[in-house]
Amino acid sequence: MNTTAEESETLERLLARTALRDERAFAEIYRRCSARLFGICLRMLHDRAEAEDVLQDVFVTVWRRAQSYDQAVAGANTWLVALARNRSIDRLRQRQGGSSCGAIDLDQLRDEGLDPPAAMQASQEYRLLQRCLDELEPNSRRSVREAFFSGATYKELAERRQVPLGTMKSWIRRALIQLRTCLES
Amino acid sequence: MNAPAEKDNSDLRYAEYVLGVLEADERAQVAREIAASEQAAAAVAMWERRLQALCEELAAQEPPADLWLRIRAALRHGDPAQRVAHPRLWVNLPFWRWLALGTAAMLAAACVALATLLLHRPVRPAIPYMASTLSEANGRVGWTATMDLGKARMVVVPASPATLSAGQAPELWLIPKGGKPIAVGMISTVAPITLELSASLAARLGPTATLAVSAEPPGGSPTGQPTGPVIATGAIGAAPAGANPTRSVAVLERTAPAADFG
Repeated sequence: MNTTAEESETLERLLARTALRDERAFAEIYRRCSARLFGICLRMLHDRAEAEDVLQDVFVTVWRRAQSYDQAVAGANTWLVALARNRSIDRLRQRQGGSSCGAIDLDQLRDEGLDPPAAMQASQEYRLLQRCLDELEPNSRRSVREAFFSGATYKELAERRQVPLGTMKSWIRRALIQLRTCLES
Repeated sequence: MNAPAEKDNSDLRYAEYVLGVLEADERAQVAREIAASEQAAAAVAMWERRLQALCEELAAQEPPADLWLRIRAALRHGDPAQRVAHPRLWVNLPFWRWLALGTAAMLAAACVALATLLLHRPVRPAIPYMASTLSEANGRVGWTATMDLGKARMVVVPASPATLSAGQAPELWLIPKGGKPIAVGMISTVAPITLELSASLAARLGPTATLAVSAEPPGGSPTGQPTGPVIATGAIGAAPAGANPTRSVAVLERTAPAADFG
């Protein structure tokens, strides 16, 4: 699932050609990335029809915004994944009642990340992030992972874990600050 | 003195945005900051780089075959109206260009098909005709489809479609805008095929709909939806009012005088 440096370069080239209105380059981006991005949308939305809508929206945006994509700010893969995640989260917020709770199967969320053999296959970035997550206290680690994969708000996460909102916020904020320090070291 | 603390706080808010824990209004606020400030955009991108590696835990999921077609339709890609500046679409359709360039055998086949379509029918200029060029991803024309709404028929003529593997046959689909594909019928990679159009199908033909060909088992998709890869797609161009199909037929007759129009 990780993208190599070579793959990133290819994607950047394809995005640059898409910015020049090259439909074939655009089709190649779809061929390379749609399944990975669909996996991300589906995991957050837990609804195929909605995930399809969001993925369509993501690729329409890729075509329309390819010209404003700035390689210096984010790699092509980062940009695409962020687009898919943000559109999925926005869709979650639009839902009636705003809840992403009902559809989430808590047991499906792993607390510990990939098992060691799978982690061997993962990128260096993943292994570094995993090492930093392992250093967090369990409530913080679990909450960050759950937040990332579910797209739930602080409020929803607090309700799910049956803790006060302030507790959830401090678990996650502490985790983010620690992660920043750990990942920069 | 408190500048670093403020910077720290906004950085934390960007982290929360990327993680996805903010409420809708807070997200909208951060999105505005990203659009307005390079620093904000850079800080958010930094958090994306930090956290996105978690996505490696997620399995890739193949989206349905028609999603690509929906995206193309939403962007109006492959729509001849987008490329042809001439207002009289009918006389400019790539179909006729292709006919002019095609081989004699192909031409004869196409003419026979069109002759079948037009046979026993007095030519009435007001009959709504439509046409579509179904192109493959490499830009090559796979098929051309001509729709005669007066007779509720569509003739699909192969140009140079890619070879299908054994046990696969091309099936034609109509994809209404924002809708699911509707099976039109099985077509051929070698011979023109005339398909009858039901009233409900004919009613959906129009410039917002797309035609697509997918590779299916010889009897057609078992599920009623495309199951195999999409081979070719094309937008539907309507003959505008004032364009006279008889003129196009005249082109045909001139190009292939041997064709028997009965």
